[in-house]
Amino acid sequence: MSRKFLYLTKVSLKKKTNSKWFVITNIILAIAIILLLNINSVITFFGGDFDSKTTLIVVDNNTNSYDLLKANIKEYSKSLSNEEEEDIKLTVKESNKTKEELEKELEDDEIILELNNDNTEYLKAEVISNEKIDNMTYQILSQSLNATKTTIGMTINNIDPTVLSEISNPTTINRVVLNDNASVDENMSLIMGSVFPTIILPFFMLTLFLIQMVGGEICEEKTTRSMEIIISNVSPKIHLLSKILANNIFVILQGLLLIVYSVIGLLISTNMFKSGMSLPSDITSIYDSLVASGFIDKLIYVIPLTLILIILSFIAYSLVAGILASMTVNMEDFSQLQTPLVFISLGGYYLAIMAGMFNGSLLIRILSYVPFLSSFVSPSLYMMGEIGIIDIIISIIVLIAFIYLLIHFGIRVYKVGILNYSNEKIWSKFFKAFKSKDV
Amino acid sequence: MLEVKHITKYYGKNKAVDDLSFTVKNGEIFGLLGENGAGKTTTFRIIMGLIDASLGEVLLDGKKIDYNLTDKIGFVTEERSLLTKLTVFEQLKFYGVLKGLDERKVEKDIDKWLEKFEITDYKNRKIKELSKGNQQKVQFISAIMNNPKLLILDEPFTGLDPINVKMMKEAIYELQKKGASIIFSSHQMEYIEDFCEKLVILVKGHSIVRGSLKEIKESFGIKNIMLRGKDLPIEKIKKIKGVIDVTKVKGELEIKIEDKLVASKVFDIVKDYDITKYDVVEPTLNEIFIKKVGEYNE
Repeated sequence: MSRKFLYLTKVSLKKKTNSKWFVITNIILAIAIILLLNINSVITFFGGDFDSKTTLIVVDNNTNSYDLLKANIKEYSKSLSNEEEEDIKLTVKESNKTKEELEKELEDDEIILELNNDNTEYLKAEVISNEKIDNMTYQILSQSLNATKTTIGMTINNIDPTVLSEISNPTTINRVVLNDNASVDENMSLIMGSVFPTIILPFFMLTLFLIQMVGGEICEEKTTRSMEIIISNVSPKIHLLSKILANNIFVILQGLLLIVYSVIGLLISTNMFKSGMSLPSDITSIYDSLVASGFIDKLIYVIPLTLILIILSFIAYSLVAGILASMTVNMEDFSQLQTPLVFISLGGYYLAIMAGMFNGSLLIRILSYVPFLSSFVSPSLYMMGEIGIIDIIISIIVLIAFIYLLIHFGIRVYKVGILNYSNEKIWSKFFKAFKSKDV
Repeated sequence: MLEVKHITKYYGKNKAVDDLSFTVKNGEIFGLLGENGAGKTTTFRIIMGLIDASLGEVLLDGKKIDYNLTDKIGFVTEERSLLTKLTVFEQLKFYGVLKGLDERKVEKDIDKWLEKFEITDYKNRKIKELSKGNQQKVQFISAIMNNPKLLILDEPFTGLDPINVKMMKEAIYELQKKGASIIFSSHQMEYIEDFCEKLVILVKGHSIVRGSLKEIKESFGIKNIMLRGKDLPIEKIKKIKGVIDVTKVKGELEIKIEDKLVASKVFDIVKDYDITKYDVVEPTLNEIFIKKVGEYNE
């Protein structure tokens, strides 16, 4: 029987991997992922220019504050846009021409800044450009002008810079958390809102993919009536488990391929092939934030447990999909019947993203033990420090018990379902099968 | 030898099969007849071990049929049971291995089977691209490629032309000679008459007629006289005691009589007429089926 089980698994797996659609889908996925990870280059290729520099032409009529403004712009460029000195995209120069003369010969990558003062204001500015100014440049300009105005005011009113600095400095907050197990980093919820959804999205997608594949395959065998021949040679249990194994291997393989495409995309993005092992500043800054928040440390501990949870969840989802598919008569029925399962996984996905909003309530803790949801919610809560390793282990134990019950009772429904071709009294038939003795 | 012993199957309160028993010896072809919904498919599923009987048991060579024995059974279902996206080669290999055959041996044997049934050209064609008849041949090959001890044929000739029916009949006789027990089910009664030595007629899960075809025909009583001649006394014949009905069929008179003793009375009346044919024939299985099922349903 084990030979037939392995053969059924092999045929089911080969049917998917040898399909032209598998190849086409993966080519599309690879291209999409690589392009997404190299979106800057793509935009540049189609005319966008991330490296274009803007020249700020300053016409200082009577304020005498050009040097001060230039220094402030340099400072704010570094702090607001995280740019190194050599990468600053806003260059500043002073002009002796009048505003009207400059306007006539103004280029698209130039901004005219006219500075004036009068009796009512220490510093007044007029900003002139051909096009709209991007938000970051405007912020740098605005904050630099404010800082310059403050310094002019201090000088005029003889205020000591040290005194002003003491007045305007933000209050120092020393954060102390007495409970080690509690959330120690409030920034973590920000990370959970941005990084975590990206990490679990492929898992969510693969879950949907798995439900579709298991159900589709069983429905196909039912509708072509080949099920009767198959089941006359192998038991329903062997048949269902072979489908579960084949499809789980397939989605894990697909998941690994997604990782490979991502790595290739990153390698291209970092230009490792040409210029050595340096990551782009965007990625390093995200990585630095993750390290600072303790995310990476926790990830190292939680990865093995999360992988176990994911694999067990895949098995649970595919078992339920298989049992539901056995109850249906055609693909349309299965599409309807699988909807609750899809919504449950969608619920798990959103709960994982919004886990921080529950502020460690008992509800979210209980939900983290619930099969189907646990693989999404448990790792998320652990990352936030809401639950510990022991809670993840409890989720795993609950999931294993759930899978055992699914196999034990679900197979009874499966055995009756796969030979049923009528929708009449369908639920009564399956409840009866559910209560019948084991097969 | 297949032994079906007092099997009963309930679906809720409905009795799909009611105390059905029969035996199919090695090398015997057995007919299982019934209207649609009479319980034939349920009986086949019980024999195949797909569903459990509520009561009774099924034995093959004295052993209860389970997954250790199903490798020795071939099953042609009424509807096509083929995975339409597979090629003929893949389909036969798939079913062959599921029947416990060695993968490499199956691969080698497939060419032989395709040649025998004259579908070699379709080896790498998908099932869905084949005609109904060729699909039926593939299904038939998949049922017999394991050289079964028990072969269940549910409407095996559907969609086949007479030449292919002949080809398949020969394959069935070949298996019979090898000692296989064969159960045959069809709504085309001429095939049953052609093939089966013994049969059962099921109505609503209950067997209303059972035994050898010869005995069934003899015990049925009613006979037919086929008569051809000029100016035959139809009204006189109708009045003979024991004559049930007189009808004209393709230029001949078909006289239905209660038993063979009535035949001599009919002959006495018609012997002085210009007759060119006088033939007393057994009733057809079709007549027996319609009469018996009709009586039971009344």
